[in-house]
Amino acid sequence: MNVVVADNVSKWYGHVLGVSDVSWTLKGGIVGLLGPNGAGKSTLIKMMSGLLSPSRGTLTVFGRNPFDDVEIRRLIGYAPEHEKTWDELTALELVTAMGELAGVPRNRSREAARASLAQMGMSYAENRRVKGFSKGMRQRTKLATATVHDPTFILLDEPLTGVDPKARIDIVEQIKKLGEAGKTIVISSHVLYEIEALTTEIVVIYRGQVLAEGNVYEIRKLIDRHPHRIRIECDKPRLMAATIASEDHVARIGFERGAVLIETRDPDRCYEQIGEAVLAQQIAVSTLTSPDNNLGAVFEYLTGDGGQR
Amino acid sequence: MSAQREIPSVTAVIATLFGVTWKRLLRGRALWVCALIAALPALIAFGLKGNRDMQEMLHFAQFRVMALLPPIFIASSVGEEIEDRTITYLWSRPLARWTLIVGKLAALAPVAIALLLGGWILASVAQGKQPTPQELLAFASGTLAISMIAAGIATLVPRQGMSLSIIYLVIIDATMGAIPASLRDMSVTRQVWLLSGLEGPTDLVKPVITLAVIAAVWLSIAFARVRRLET
Repeated sequence: MNVVVADNVSKWYGHVLGVSDVSWTLKGGIVGLLGPNGAGKSTLIKMMSGLLSPSRGTLTVFGRNPFDDVEIRRLIGYAPEHEKTWDELTALELVTAMGELAGVPRNRSREAARASLAQMGMSYAENRRVKGFSKGMRQRTKLATATVHDPTFILLDEPLTGVDPKARIDIVEQIKKLGEAGKTIVISSHVLYEIEALTTEIVVIYRGQVLAEGNVYEIRKLIDRHPHRIRIECDKPRLMAATIASEDHVARIGFERGAVLIETRDPDRCYEQIGEAVLAQQIAVSTLTSPDNNLGAVFEYLTGDGGQR
Repeated sequence: MSAQREIPSVTAVIATLFGVTWKRLLRGRALWVCALIAALPALIAFGLKGNRDMQEMLHFAQFRVMALLPPIFIASSVGEEIEDRTITYLWSRPLARWTLIVGKLAALAPVAIALLLGGWILASVAQGKQPTPQELLAFASGTLAISMIAAGIATLVPRQGMSLSIIYLVIIDATMGAIPASLRDMSVTRQVWLLSGLEGPTDLVKPVITLAVIAAVWLSIAFARVRRLET
């Protein structure tokens, strides 16, 4: 059975178009939803999780409408993009409550929450309040809330945004394990290299429409023609820049308050070297992001706007 | 990590939401702010002992406190949940959306009632009197009805839920209740005033029914709103 079937789905927020006439079928596996901010990824994910109802067309999950059908949502695990949660609770209390609300019986919910937090590498902080968590810890906790009830279909909205390199590697690892365990996973990102670490199957979405779907390599060739920007917030931005600057793939280096902005023609190598620099120079990285302007330019190119230049 | 899945019962969902709301309440500031507000009538009673206008001031303060506590507890809690989008965690799960409202009301309305009654009992003790069961029942019913109004308003305007609830209850509802016309029958303040016996002996059935109808209308608004709410 198909996991998701979207048939001419459109979604408007007043006069603003979120998703336009999307027809798409998801059979299983790990699939990346790739597109710049505001492309419609979150709207599509929210419709799959039952939070939004299509303005036009139909969208089903396991053959049922997730917005109206409460029962089907027991098979879905969803981690939203936003960070805010019940911050006054400890990680264990939060994940336990989310498990119970997803149908884990009360007498087993705590144990399930502990296991889920452990799987995300959060056992050490399970009794700490979410309020004091770093971005990476919050992302891991969100993943634990999405998986505590052992869902079949997992929706992760930008789960790697803003996390440090180590957390990124851990989270990617955990998501892969979930995929290997037979879960169907949809993961959204505006950074191709994040998606690429997880799957080769991608759906490219831009201005609310599905532009392309299939193998990642073709789209990657197009994206690699454009310099990729990486923003690193760390305690020693100048040292980080000096370590990377001499590499031939680096097109430009800039500085912002407490951060270094690197433009590279070879993102894979660049990410690798950033990791090496962090370890060798003992640099404390708080946030690693990839502004999506460059991806936006590629999408403009793909849709023809930029292709005519 | 394989946890057994089933559809959680309505009672299980409400119990979980009740527990979470309580934990958050105890770890936040709202409870202590409200306890302070609820103590106002008692402070007035202690401070103005012997003043001949004290009764009037006490009633004024008590009715204002009754109009303040539920918006601070319930409207802010429901509004925050929608505004901060924490409801996305809830509504992507196999639960009916209205359970959020019921869970919040079940956890917070009794706290508002307990604080209001506690304040009134202290104020009465300060005057050397005992509060009548009729007064206590009236304030409890009024707070419950106001809690549902606050929940309804918070679902309509989440960001300003608390402030608009307070404006509605302190200004519009109280003014409506003071107008000598049939419009005042729609005022919660007026119905609680009648129910508490402060206007002298009266038929209790009408105020009880009116309060129940007002509360039911606002609760229906809250349920209808959350059913289609998209975030």
